[in-house]
Amino acid sequence: MGASREMAVQQVHELIYESCLTLNAEKWNDYLDLCDKAVFNYSIVNYSPEIRRDQCWMERDYKGLKSIFDLLPKHNSDRSQLTRHATVYRVGFDPEQNVANALTLVTIYRTQLDGINSHFESGATSLFAVGKYMDVIGLDAGKANLKKRVVALDTRQVDIGSHYPL
Amino acid sequence: MSSQSAAAEAQAADNGKQSKQGRARNLAEWSQRPNLPGTHYLDTRVYTDPAIYDEEIDKIWNKVWLPICHESELSAPLDFRTSGVAGTKPIVVVRGADNKIRSFLNVCPHRGNIVMRAPAGNLGEGSPSGNPRNMTCMFHGWQFDATGRCVEIPREKAGYQDRLCKAQMGLRELRTEVAHGGFVWVNLDDNCGPLADFTGNAFDFMATELDTVPLEVFHYQKAVVRTNFKLWHETSREFYHDYLHYHNRATGMLQKGYFDRKYTAFPNGHAATGLTSITYDAYEGAKDRGLTFPGMPLNGWKQLNIFPGCTYSLRASCLRVSVMTPISTDKVLIEIRGFGLKEDTPEERRERILDHDTIWGPFGRNLHEDLLVVQNQSIAMREGSGSKYLVMAREENNTIHDEIGLRSYYEEWSRLMGRLACDPSRRSDE
Ligand code: FES
Ligand SMILES: [Fe+2]
Repeated sequence: MGASREMAVQQVHELIYESCLTLNAEKWNDYLDLCDKAVFNYSIVNYSPEIRRDQCWMERDYKGLKSIFDLLPKHNSDRSQLTRHATVYRVGFDPEQNVANALTLVTIYRTQLDGINSHFESGATSLFAVGKYMDVIGLDAGKANLKKRVVALDTRQVDIGSHYPL
Repeated sequence: MSSQSAAAEAQAADNGKQSKQGRARNLAEWSQRPNLPGTHYLDTRVYTDPAIYDEEIDKIWNKVWLPICHESELSAPLDFRTSGVAGTKPIVVVRGADNKIRSFLNVCPHRGNIVMRAPAGNLGEGSPSGNPRNMTCMFHGWQFDATGRCVEIPREKAGYQDRLCKAQMGLRELRTEVAHGGFVWVNLDDNCGPLADFTGNAFDFMATELDTVPLEVFHYQKAVVRTNFKLWHETSREFYHDYLHYHNRATGMLQKGYFDRKYTAFPNGHAATGLTSITYDAYEGAKDRGLTFPGMPLNGWKQLNIFPGCTYSLRASCLRVSVMTPISTDKVLIEIRGFGLKEDTPEERRERILDHDTIWGPFGRNLHEDLLVVQNQSIAMREGSGSKYLVMAREENNTIHDEIGLRSYYEEWSRLMGRLACDPSRRSDE
């Protein structure tokens, strides 16, 4: 059905862009609200040509991600802002299952705050990482939600890293 | 009492209070040497002086055994891996057809081009301008086999007649050994003693864990961090900074028995923190570790620091090994690997990786905090910033928050450099 596919694609786009906006604003709970509590799985992966293996740098379910957010105030973090710029390139939709797959290219910038020598560097923006989101999105009951997000990085040198998910 | 004498009395009382409670210091006071033995503090010039840095490369990094990669990164014959040590010396490690691992300076003896460019691969694949099984320098097509012999010089006779021939033009081979959990170690000094003399008995307390079954790398991460290499290594050598890590406070420091953990210094500057048990589930969202290494109790943690810049940290289910390549006084390339057992099932491997990533990896809780600190430390002690002396004076009976790990490092540093860390302008034999 053409119309429902169109609607699905629209919902997928909105969900992915909203996920970037919530993360950019560090509204962690609003981000979690976009995820399917029961099945959500989040991971950051890449392929390392150095060891010639796929590797995983973070994997969490909904609860695991929530505890990361809850514990942020107890940790010493580089609180520089990460800004995700995304473009959704491809959406596949399975109307039987009401599930979509989306491929999104993402560029992440870091705007320094207190990571290093704030007198010199706060306010300066640099490229932090490039990669893609590979999402599985549920479209039940007219509401899109994230069931799975794989952040597949091209960038393998991410400086001092981050306490924030990408 | 006159108002004058009352004021004097108040002033005297105030002075008394100050001497007991302390106060901020003026420049002269701030620049004074700490009232401690010379072994218990250091002059920040050891981190910032370019002449000292050059001397460190020369007297330390060019002389000691350095781990550079793991045998599982070159598991098949003719696999190669490029790396580098001691500043900017490029190295290529190759597993020969005979399964022996050798390493060479990755520099072409013809016109100095780098020979192998890719981070890793297999020589069986050949290259656009050379034969399979050889390392080919793309510039003029000189070829070297996996044992480092020069086996091809294009139009050799036509250009060099009998004045130079390939038999004389092999690569520069480096002393290479594979040991301590399957690491490939190299030494730039052809006259050095064997690796076993350098590591001595430092690895004994971790040997069962490292050398019972083969290990396999599952994590590789690197970053050029803006700090002096010693500052990075020092975060691994002192545990007083448990205060930096919420994870360590919750799962370690606040648990019974943590302060009994022993610190041992070995000859040649190596130092180990003994076995302790970690309460992983005391950190919300984490769980106790269900897997371990041979001989290591569940949830155990041991750590070994190898002079001058390598750390093995074994937290039950996963081993983290950090190596580094100094680049300048305030820049260092840090490479960090994570390991499981080669025999792991896919499920076991996944569990080890999950454990690893909770605190390590670029998105783990602890590593980010450590890197954040060392780059900020380096800012504070830049030449001219006024930060002059750092103290490493905690004595707690060689237990975990004792700073013996730092002192033993600088004892070896002074021995090799012939300088005092507390006053690097003075020779240590003066
Ligand atoms: S520089 Fe290597 S062949 Fe000429
Ligand atoms: Fe640390």
